[in-house]
Amino acid sequence: MLDTILRLVKASGADAWEVTESVTEGWEFYFIKHRLDQNRAKKTTHTTVRLFRTLSDGKGIGSASEEIPPTETEEETEKRIRELMKRASYAENPYYTLRKKDGRTQEAIAELPDVKKMAGDFLETMREIPENEVTDLNSYEIFADVSRIRFLNSEGIDLTYVRPSSMLEVVVNARNKEHEIELYRIYRSGGCDRDSIRKALAETMQFGRDRLEAVPMPKLVSSPVVFSTEETREIGSFFINRMLASYKVRGYSDWEIGKPVFDGRMETPVTVEALKELPNSSGNAAYDAEGAPVRDAVLIDRGVPKQFVGDRQFSCYLGLEDSFIPGNFRISGGLCDAGELRTGDFLEAVEFSDFQVDPLSGNLGGEIRLAYWHHDGIVTPVTGGSISGSMLSLAPAMKMSKELRQYNNMELPAVIRLEQVSVTGITQI
Amino acid sequence: MKAPFSAYLTKIAPGLKELVRELAGHYDYVSILSSDSRGFAVRVSQHAKTVSGRTMTTERGHVVRVRQDGLYSEYAFNEFDPAKIGETARDIMSTIDRQLSLLKAGGTPVYETAVLPDEPCTLFVEMETGTLPEETDFDALISKLTGISDAVVRTGDDMLECQVVAQSTHISKMFLTKNRDLRQSYVYSEGMAAPVASKNGRNEMSYAAVSGRKGPELFDDLKAKAEEAARVVRELLDADRVTPGEYDVITSPEVTGLIAHEAFGHGVEMDMFVKNRALGAEYIDKRVGSDLVTMHEGALCADSVTGYAFDDEGTLAGDVTEIDHGILKTGICDALSAMRLGIAPTGNGKRENFEHKVYTRMTNTMFDSGTNTLDEMIVSISYGYLLMGMQSGMEDPKHWGIQCMIERGYEIRDGRLTGRVVAPVCMTGYVPDLLGQISMVSTDREVFGSGGCGKGHKEWVKVADGGPYLKTKVRLG
Repeated sequence: MLDTILRLVKASGADAWEVTESVTEGWEFYFIKHRLDQNRAKKTTHTTVRLFRTLSDGKGIGSASEEIPPTETEEETEKRIRELMKRASYAENPYYTLRKKDGRTQEAIAELPDVKKMAGDFLETMREIPENEVTDLNSYEIFADVSRIRFLNSEGIDLTYVRPSSMLEVVVNARNKEHEIELYRIYRSGGCDRDSIRKALAETMQFGRDRLEAVPMPKLVSSPVVFSTEETREIGSFFINRMLASYKVRGYSDWEIGKPVFDGRMETPVTVEALKELPNSSGNAAYDAEGAPVRDAVLIDRGVPKQFVGDRQFSCYLGLEDSFIPGNFRISGGLCDAGELRTGDFLEAVEFSDFQVDPLSGNLGGEIRLAYWHHDGIVTPVTGGSISGSMLSLAPAMKMSKELRQYNNMELPAVIRLEQVSVTGITQI
Repeated sequence: MKAPFSAYLTKIAPGLKELVRELAGHYDYVSILSSDSRGFAVRVSQHAKTVSGRTMTTERGHVVRVRQDGLYSEYAFNEFDPAKIGETARDIMSTIDRQLSLLKAGGTPVYETAVLPDEPCTLFVEMETGTLPEETDFDALISKLTGISDAVVRTGDDMLECQVVAQSTHISKMFLTKNRDLRQSYVYSEGMAAPVASKNGRNEMSYAAVSGRKGPELFDDLKAKAEEAARVVRELLDADRVTPGEYDVITSPEVTGLIAHEAFGHGVEMDMFVKNRALGAEYIDKRVGSDLVTMHEGALCADSVTGYAFDDEGTLAGDVTEIDHGILKTGICDALSAMRLGIAPTGNGKRENFEHKVYTRMTNTMFDSGTNTLDEMIVSISYGYLLMGMQSGMEDPKHWGIQCMIERGYEIRDGRLTGRVVAPVCMTGYVPDLLGQISMVSTDREVFGSGGCGKGHKEWVKVADGGPYLKTKVRLG
């Protein structure tokens, strides 16, 4: 089918084109307690075509894309490609070029991981998770996917790479005589990392036990808040987004190369790196979706922007010829040990309903399901209420630990502390 | 006009029926759901225009569900040759067998479930639509969206950008078993305008959307929505932070819909009852809200983006009264969970697409209207807020905690709107308290169907929700 599509695309009259074929085998297992609720498998081929037309005497370029189903006849595909050519002529953008084949050789194609082995590792790991009368697994879902991706374009690029990805959704229960609570987790990764899963679930179960004892959040008005769980990703993403070419072009980021962020007012200047690989990350890939080789790159060095990154179109608009779409990131720059960030009165928030940092406005907020209120040397688990604030005002005084912790495709300070975060509590102190 | 059913599905239906017969020799239940849904998404902004054939629901593929020894298994695929039925059947069986051998090696016990009923039923539904996405004049549409974006940005130097999105999808689905042949097709569309403005280094975005079980003619309403969003985004630039605390509030129909969705949408998805994950199971026939609270759920409740004729398990669409004058009556249920609970399914078994599992999912989740006017509600508040614009929400069905991220609140003092705006607003509370304190309900009602809903943090499907203005008491932060 791919050969037919390529032949039709080349004959279409398009000024440029991209074709991406993704062949995926996936295995899934769904459990209630440890009983199998359902097993699923999938085997799919998805082929997407994007056609480009040069417009306005070379000043503009338009494109249109669509998936071509593998069950389509040649006549149907030909008709669809003709329609794409028409659509591309109406969606005019300032001119840019596709990535060209360069001298670099195609990286060796990794061996296709065995999806049965990936799924089997998860099954075994979950069977061995320690449970007891207080904390156990309510249910879990295992997803193991292996994709072989081939990307071709009109500029001579023809590359193939393999992308394993997995996802584990777990619901943990904790109970005492009065009530039962649940904690929800979703872990995305390349394959099964038994140790990481065991550690993460042990931590989750401890949070469950503590939440059973939690009292309503005190009315604090504002407080230092320490983040030591996956919510640090949201904070890290605020910095990453502002270094995306698309954010810069659209005017959403006013950060400039060489000019310290927040006018140099960051007490702990942040460093942001794009990484080609992180251990067992689902973001690991030799190439991005547009055929650009992925590499390590420093985006912000100790509070000073060094380079923007992103997709081909917006990178070209910024004059970045050798940019790419990163799959992994590292946020660092902390000057303290994690313990030094846990001093004085503070709230360590570890479980939220849904903690969010709006990358555009910097607004952050979320309802707290479990936090530890450290007050006069006493630690009290608390629940309910919410926190809110804005990274624009909170980031300058943000502190980070030297220790880092990885969550799938991001490595971040294990502990991040924000000062004077607004807190909506429930009970008077 | 009628939205025509897929010619592709019609052509391969005999082959798929043969595949059902072939597999039925090996399993005691076999069904196939086949989808052929095409559409487009056009995005126009000041810096980029894109035309894509992909929306949240475009797909072409099949999923087979089989039962053996009390266990349901599924196999999803998108290459099908009617001349190779035997080969396809063998591929499906051998893959499932390989999975089962892995499970048996680990001694995995099975959650046994009875055989789904297979009552004879034939249905062919082509729903009405104004126009079809495949007949769209893209030149005219992109010009229209460009004009809207340009007009918003021209309103002032503070306006950085205005993205305008138009999406339309022509759905065709076919559900086949030995005794059932259900086919449906319909068109739904959604459009959105999202201006971004900046002032003193502060960026804010607002959005306004249109949606419905309509064709691309829906986008005629986008211009007015964009103008409304442009007005709102400037309010956000000057907005204050709300002082954390408990307030009397009025929720706009959009925020009301978010409450419906998070409070007694997710909270009564009965696959959660099977897993003992929802407090709602213990509250059937008990009070969960004030007398003014009546709530419906079902694909038949509204002509919205999710107004289908049958769900992804071949159960006909329904209209369930979940809460009747404050009393929780029932939840919503997919077919397998219904078998396990010993109840009838409600037509709420939905998949993200053919590659994904069925879960109990919402369709239209709606509060019923009441007898008050918005003016009466405002006059009744000495100090509080009128909450408008939804951003996101999260539920806790086990504890009935609720979090709603709301775009903005308009201050009310002594029965009048003061003009002061607070933003953003994080509304939290305990669902029975929130619903129990509903003291006024307006006569009007709106449905909102833009965006999607996840189960946990995955499995995205189209849903709609809404209702009237409600007066209640909540915590804001």
